[in-house]
Amino acid sequence: MTQQYGLIPDEWLVSYAAGALSDERALLVATHVAYHPSLKARVADAEAIGGALLEAQDATSNLDMSFDDLMARIDMPELDAEDEATPILTSDDDLPTPLRSYLDKPLDGLKWRMMGPGMYQHKLSSGPDGEKLWLLRARGGTEMPLHDHTGLEMTLVLRGSYHVGDKRFGPGLLELADKDVTNHQPMIDEGEDCICLVVTDAPIRLHSFIGRMIQPFIGL
Amino acid sequence: MEVCDPASARLRIKGMKAQARYFDETGNNPILALMFPMMVGEHTDNRACVTDRPRTSARVVDIAAETDIKNLTHEQLMTRVAEQRDKSAFKLLFVYFAPRLKAHLMSMGVTAEVAEDLMQEVLIKVWRKAHQFQSDKAKLSTWMFRIARNAFIDYRRRAKYPEVNADDHLHHMQADDETDRPVMEGQTAERVSKAIEALKPKYKEVIHLSFFEELSHSQIAERLELPLGTVKSRIRLAFGAMRSELGEMG
Repeated sequence: MTQQYGLIPDEWLVSYAAGALSDERALLVATHVAYHPSLKARVADAEAIGGALLEAQDATSNLDMSFDDLMARIDMPELDAEDEATPILTSDDDLPTPLRSYLDKPLDGLKWRMMGPGMYQHKLSSGPDGEKLWLLRARGGTEMPLHDHTGLEMTLVLRGSYHVGDKRFGPGLLELADKDVTNHQPMIDEGEDCICLVVTDAPIRLHSFIGRMIQPFIGL
Repeated sequence: MEVCDPASARLRIKGMKAQARYFDETGNNPILALMFPMMVGEHTDNRACVTDRPRTSARVVDIAAETDIKNLTHEQLMTRVAEQRDKSAFKLLFVYFAPRLKAHLMSMGVTAEVAEDLMQEVLIKVWRKAHQFQSDKAKLSTWMFRIARNAFIDYRRRAKYPEVNADDHLHHMQADDETDRPVMEGQTAERVSKAIEALKPKYKEVIHLSFFEELSHSQIAERLELPLGTVKSRIRLAFGAMRSELGEMG
């Protein structure tokens, strides 16, 4: 398959399957994959590599536990109920399960902090290597500030849409922007608010002087 | 409720935060496996592995059942576990997978004790969630790998690994590319292993560092002293090579 814009490249799917992504990136990748049956198929393939590596393992390792020990543990009733807890999903049924079970409120119920004209942010988590997972909400018609990147920015559209040059990103599509992407200026399409799930691993570099002045306060 | 030992105490705590997981559906076809047992080569070497199965009074029937069950694929055994709560089928799976799971978890860098603890947790989940395994679509080793990966990450980070939900049908779902079906899930683990072995060492290396050491792209780049872009393209090429080789085999 030739790489199609808006879809994550295979190296991320392989690392996701291997369990090698940070929690922040894993959540974004799992959420993105949910929109695309073709990506689900590729994740299944990458996980089959894991299954094959598992089967190729040494089958002679000594076990302290016998089958009967295992069954005795399984028969302990108190473990049973706890394991069956169902995940709590928010009411946003247009969103994929990984995100709905991660968020504790629907998008409209979250506390949004103003980042700039027409732009709001809701922070979700920070990883050990500086990855930040957050939600961006931008009003239809907003011009995002012109910026460059010092790290990698992964942006997954959940609602609404935006475009960069002639590429349009709507729900389920992902944009990757690293330091090779300069003069980056997404324009939010007119109409509904555009809500994106974003992972950044380094501050972006805003072009405007005002932007750089207020940057420390808005957490970009 | 009384807790007997530290291991079970840890499991209880983990159990409390455990939530139902979602398992992807893919691949292996048990009817094909029945018709063409030679296609499921990896199952042939583990059939006669249980010798100490408890005897029942109806010995003749028991022997017949035993012969029968040993000829089943892992996926078929798993179906018996799900539908009949068949402990002898589960025991065969235990004998095959328990040592491999332990070795697999140890190769990810935990002690033998922790590996055995996690292995037990994985097998308990396999028993409990047997009904979620779709034997007509998925390969058991892939499902088992996924549960082991999640258990390992939960243990390492005390956070839940975000699982892809095969049942998500979203309003904005993108049209499926019909030609892009899973190709490895339809293969035996033996063939997939061979495809891994057939990779050039530089490609095999990045796959191993991803799966066994869970290194991110930038960590691999640092370890191998390579540019980040090279690491990404090696992983991509390794995956592409395996997919196309196995895809051609059909």
